Amino acid sequence: MIELKNVSVRYPKTTHNALSDINLSIQRREFVCVLGQSGAGKSTFIRCINGLQQPTSGEVFFDNELLSLKDEEQLRLVRREMGMIFQHFNLIPRLTVLQNVLTGVFGYRSSLKNILGWFSKTDIQLAHQVIEDVGLTDFLYRRIERLSGGQKQRVGIARALVQKPKVFLGDEPVASLDPGTANHIFSLLKDLHNRHQLLTIINVHDVSLAKRYATRIVALKDGKLQFDGTPNEFTEQQYHIIYGTHKQ
Amino acid sequence: MWFKKRSFLIVILLLIAIHYSMKLTEFDLAKFRDFSNMIDFLTQWFPMDFSTFPRMIEDSIETLAMAFLGSFFGLLFALPLSFLAARNTTPFPPLLHATRLFLSFVRSIPEIVFGLVLLTALGLGPFPAVLAIMFHNIGVLGKLISELIESADPGPQEAMKAVGAKNGFGSLFSILPQIWPNVLSQYFYRFEVAIRTSLILGFIGGGGIGQRLFNDFKTFQYSAVSLDVLLIMIIVVIVDLIGGIIRNRII
Repeated sequence: MIELKNVSVRYPKTTHNALSDINLSIQRREFVCVLGQSGAGKSTFIRCINGLQQPTSGEVFFDNELLSLKDEEQLRLVRREMGMIFQHFNLIPRLTVLQNVLTGVFGYRSSLKNILGWFSKTDIQLAHQVIEDVGLTDFLYRRIERLSGGQKQRVGIARALVQKPKVFLGDEPVASLDPGTANHIFSLLKDLHNRHQLLTIINVHDVSLAKRYATRIVALKDGKLQFDGTPNEFTEQQYHIIYGTHKQ
Repeated sequence: MWFKKRSFLIVILLLIAIHYSMKLTEFDLAKFRDFSNMIDFLTQWFPMDFSTFPRMIEDSIETLAMAFLGSFFGLLFALPLSFLAARNTTPFPPLLHATRLFLSFVRSIPEIVFGLVLLTALGLGPFPAVLAIMFHNIGVLGKLISELIESADPGPQEAMKAVGAKNGFGSLFSILPQIWPNVLSQYFYRFEVAIRTSLILGFIGGGGIGQRLFNDFKTFQYSAVSLDVLLIMIIVVIVDLIGGIIRNRII
């Protein structure tokens, strides 16, 4: 469903590649965790998939269509089929949970009515539904600032679900959460992955989370693909290669 | 340690600048030997003369209306312009520079100049004063709001992009809620400034309590002048209070 061919990214005014020569093919129904140190290229990798970052060279295919051939408007249509969650949640401050989740439909609707905050019954029903799915029904009208980190990420997940995505991307979604909450978020992601047959790709620091939830682990080191295999194949030895000598 | 040779040089330069500025502005505290004149003058302000009080209230309300309309219309035009003048939301770069140029142009012209020019076409009265305040505020608020837009957290904007929202639509939704309280407090500050500006515009025939103050002063009716000044102070305080209340409810 997603295919990367010889993908390299170099940011302007830098001397080395953030990603170099990545070849990867990811199928529907996979739950991929991307491991790697900070600066290994995990974020760049995720952003190449939904076209927030264009590769300097190489090709990215989504459903056999080449992303780099698309203009900004066509990319927009691709992005709305991919939900994305972020390390710092990237929610809109001062708005309520429901309002934030409703912004997830903006890929499909952008009329004057939406600017004024009027949404159709079906949109609102859908928003209520996904908010229930992430367990935040009691907080519908609570402002974002008054939520805990874990709750904020649930709102982020709900906003992505409203898009009815085929692909679910996560850029370090649990890096600012405590271990218990991180585990809850991952089990929610896994549950949604199974229920909606989502292709899920998540960046993580925590190897144990990746081994517990992923169906496939991809590891990057200095922008290069270092490991690609099942969680069982990701051994202690691999760990040392990716993260250096000592295990914490 | 923090006192370097360079700071010494800066102090000397500052002293020179102060010296020449005092010379040019005839700054001389010895002139206060005629201080008693001012006391004499101010005693003529009291007791206050309430005979024209109802008319003064009418004029005060007119001033309030001038300041409100001028600054509010300024805000209405400045809001969309500031999105064009912000680096992160402008649809294309030449428009950014054109808008910025326009904003600094209208900002650089003082209200009184706008007022004097507009008077020739529109005649005396509050209407040209409203327009003068509006033009200047488009420039000021446009610059301030475009800076707020540029310093808004880019995270939500990226999220709107990832959701597949159209560019303008996404920026509007991710930025406006972030900057709204600051926009309001800037607006209320400009509203307060507009009251003071409308007084000056009253001096050139712009109407309102400013014109009354000017006329009372020129006809030596100091006991009325004191009441005019008191009313102006009350208006400013009221606007400040209302602004504070509204801002607190928004945050």
